Amino acid sequence: MTALAPARPSAATPGRTAPVATFAGFPDLTAFIVRRNWLRLTLWVVILVGMVAMVFESQRVAFPTQESRDAYAAIANTPAVAALTGLPYGAGTLGGILNIKIWMTLAVSIGFASIFLLTRNGRAEEEAGRTELIRAGAVGHHAYSLANQLVVGGLSVVVGLLIGLTCIGLGLPAEGSLAMGASIAGVGIAFLGIAAVAGQLTSTSRAANSLASIVLGVSYLVRAIADVRAEGETPDALSWASPIGWAQNMRSFGENTWWPLLLLVGVGVGGCLVAAAVESRRDVGAGVLPDRAGPPRASRRLTTTLGLAVRLQRGPMIGWLLGGMVGGAFYGGVANAMADLLASGNPMGEVFAGGADTMLDGLLGLFLMVSAMVAAGYTVQAATAVRLEEASGRLEPQVAGAVSRTRWASVHYLLGAVWGVVILAASGLVFGVAFAFTASDPAQVWRIFAASLAYVPTLFVLAGVAVFLTGWLPRATVLVSWIVFGASAVIAIFGPLFSLSEEAIAATPFAATPRVPGVEFEALPLVVLSLVALALWALGLARFRARDLTLA
Amino acid sequence: MSASTPAIEVAGLVKRFGAVTALDGLDLRVEQGQVMGFLGPNGSGKSTTIRILLGIARADAGSARLLGGDPWREAVELHRRIAYVPGDVNLWPNLTGGQAIDILSRLRGGIDRTRRDALVERFDLDPTKKARTYSKGNRQKIALVAALASDAELLILDEPTSGLDPLMEGVFTDTVRELAREGRSVLLSSHIFAEVEKLCDQVTIIRAGRTVESGSLADLRHLHRTSVSVVLPGGIGSFAERTDLHDLSADGEHVSFTVEDADLGAVLVDLAARAPRSLVSTPPSLEDLFLRHYGIDLPAAGADAAAVNAS
Repeated sequence: MTALAPARPSAATPGRTAPVATFAGFPDLTAFIVRRNWLRLTLWVVILVGMVAMVFESQRVAFPTQESRDAYAAIANTPAVAALTGLPYGAGTLGGILNIKIWMTLAVSIGFASIFLLTRNGRAEEEAGRTELIRAGAVGHHAYSLANQLVVGGLSVVVGLLIGLTCIGLGLPAEGSLAMGASIAGVGIAFLGIAAVAGQLTSTSRAANSLASIVLGVSYLVRAIADVRAEGETPDALSWASPIGWAQNMRSFGENTWWPLLLLVGVGVGGCLVAAAVESRRDVGAGVLPDRAGPPRASRRLTTTLGLAVRLQRGPMIGWLLGGMVGGAFYGGVANAMADLLASGNPMGEVFAGGADTMLDGLLGLFLMVSAMVAAGYTVQAATAVRLEEASGRLEPQVAGAVSRTRWASVHYLLGAVWGVVILAASGLVFGVAFAFTASDPAQVWRIFAASLAYVPTLFVLAGVAVFLTGWLPRATVLVSWIVFGASAVIAIFGPLFSLSEEAIAATPFAATPRVPGVEFEALPLVVLSLVALALWALGLARFRARDLTLA
Repeated sequence: MSASTPAIEVAGLVKRFGAVTALDGLDLRVEQGQVMGFLGPNGSGKSTTIRILLGIARADAGSARLLGGDPWREAVELHRRIAYVPGDVNLWPNLTGGQAIDILSRLRGGIDRTRRDALVERFDLDPTKKARTYSKGNRQKIALVAALASDAELLILDEPTSGLDPLMEGVFTDTVRELAREGRSVLLSSHIFAEVEKLCDQVTIIRAGRTVESGSLADLRHLHRTSVSVVLPGGIGSFAERTDLHDLSADGEHVSFTVEDADLGAVLVDLAARAPRSLVSTPPSLEDLFLRHYGIDLPAAGADAAAVNAS
């Protein structure tokens, strides 16, 4: 018997020799991926390119004359702007203003678009077992991955080109327009490469998305630190440590430096090559990071509805909490660094303070709101997980046990909302401590911490949107919940950019909350938000109890 | 490819997942035109073997040839000549069943349209429904139609009837028989012994990643015993003294045992004299063969032996 001899890999052992026709089936697969994703691809293009046109229009109205733009240029460069949206430059031109207002949002959005789309067609398909079916056809080892990368990369190229052409069409300088489009496309392509590697290392789509998103988050933070440390309009050396920083350093509508685009495309192509190398060495369905063995029995706690919910959410719970605390520490530290600059009575304060007594308080209010967005992000994720549990069919056996649907869903939703409050409180506390430490004023700890809790009703409203949708429009729950969250966040920070009226802005969940500690605390908006949340939860849960369970 | 090239030729195949050895020197040979049953308990390595044959997993040692080619290196060329049905079919929720059949077929390299439509009809499938609305059995049928309507020389079927109702299992059996008559080769991995007995002329039984038995069903059957349960109004009495009975157990009037085919006649004569009130004899089944001869340690089998020893 063969088994008696020590078995060794030989040339005849499958997997020892390089495959031939590795790209067979590529055109068909490309068409297939486009067909499965055309709506998502179209939406990303329309939204990202549309935002450029909208923001440009509002800025042209806001700064109609060269004098008004020059006045803006004198005050544009504040640490708050630098930290949130990147180091401002060229604020005396409409192109420069457009860059300040929208560039960072576009860059981060296209980064997420690349990550989510690549994972959706890549690791998620593999996890579902559909890649196995495809690869059992006359399909080369790398054909499907290459098709996926090409389609997602194509999105970046199309968005970049259309942004460039839109800007030219709006009358902006051609080179700056194209540099802006190219820098956005470059960020998309770089994160495509990062997502491709993440999808090879991990064996679940959730882990792949998380890993790549963490890289995106760190890239954003690194360049935020760099931009705050920058002197004048000259970038700090640290910004070269972040792919987003490379794209910023293309300085569209400024110097229009083209060579950093090579770095971005290099990361994209390099990531895809690394992914291909890993892919040709591993089995379909497997990752590189090992699956560890777990306990053979469930503990007593795990067998309760709450225990299981906590276990399923454990990773995101810890991840978002750490994210919120890091963010809080960052903003707390940065706020003090601004104090000196602000003491001179920078008129830009009027814009950012939003009616606050002092500009510093206005900035604290803004940063607290951004911290609240992190907490709300977790809450939305946890609330949409209820629908995912239902769609995957895992809910049915659970409610087939002695647990009512309403109770089961309430436990999951409340866990999401309560942990969101924990993240809110923890990031507020860290924010307060960091700020109090640098400002040498211990009283600030309590003041900031208390202010952060003003966003509790907002969390419940955003969770309520998911609760309501899960009841009434289950299939739309995940997508629409995130759209509501994203739109609320963008409107709260950039609302005036889109020429929205103050009333309309104040009607969105984040903006409705008084931006304490900058403005005087008002109870009424919080009462209204709480009532809205209560209605959403009650209607959603009632419908969830009454309707049929539906799969994906 | 010459007629003597086997459809599948696997020798000493080894596959490890970390510390776990999934395949430990597995051998498998399917000649052209053969319908090979591939049997083994859960986790014995059937699917792992198939995944290596499909070129979607690498082996750590040993060799595997599919239609004379290297399943990893020449995956694309080979896949034009084979069709595969997994045991757990997952489809794109937003596409219809008909679309899924055509996509899978096109990626293989073509389909016989009339055959496809005939099979959709025979399997009682609505190809216009979205895959998300299909039950497990209906998803399974989609993959079956895509594979069975192909012109593949070799069909690799990994527990293909899981989730099908008995009527549809019948349709599956008939269709595979037709294909076998056309001279196609089939590797049928299954838990369902009846299905393997109906379809397969050869059987390979594996356990813990090794081949424990391989041969024609007829060859394996002669090793086999018939199971008999009888109700003897007078109790077991002197019947227990017979030496040609195996696995004997008695509970009051109820007596059960197994007997070699050669001894069956004499045992029945003895039984007839004892005026049994009822007699059930189970024909030699692959399942018994599988469970008894090849030492699959089922707790129940161990308990039976203990009961006999105690009595």
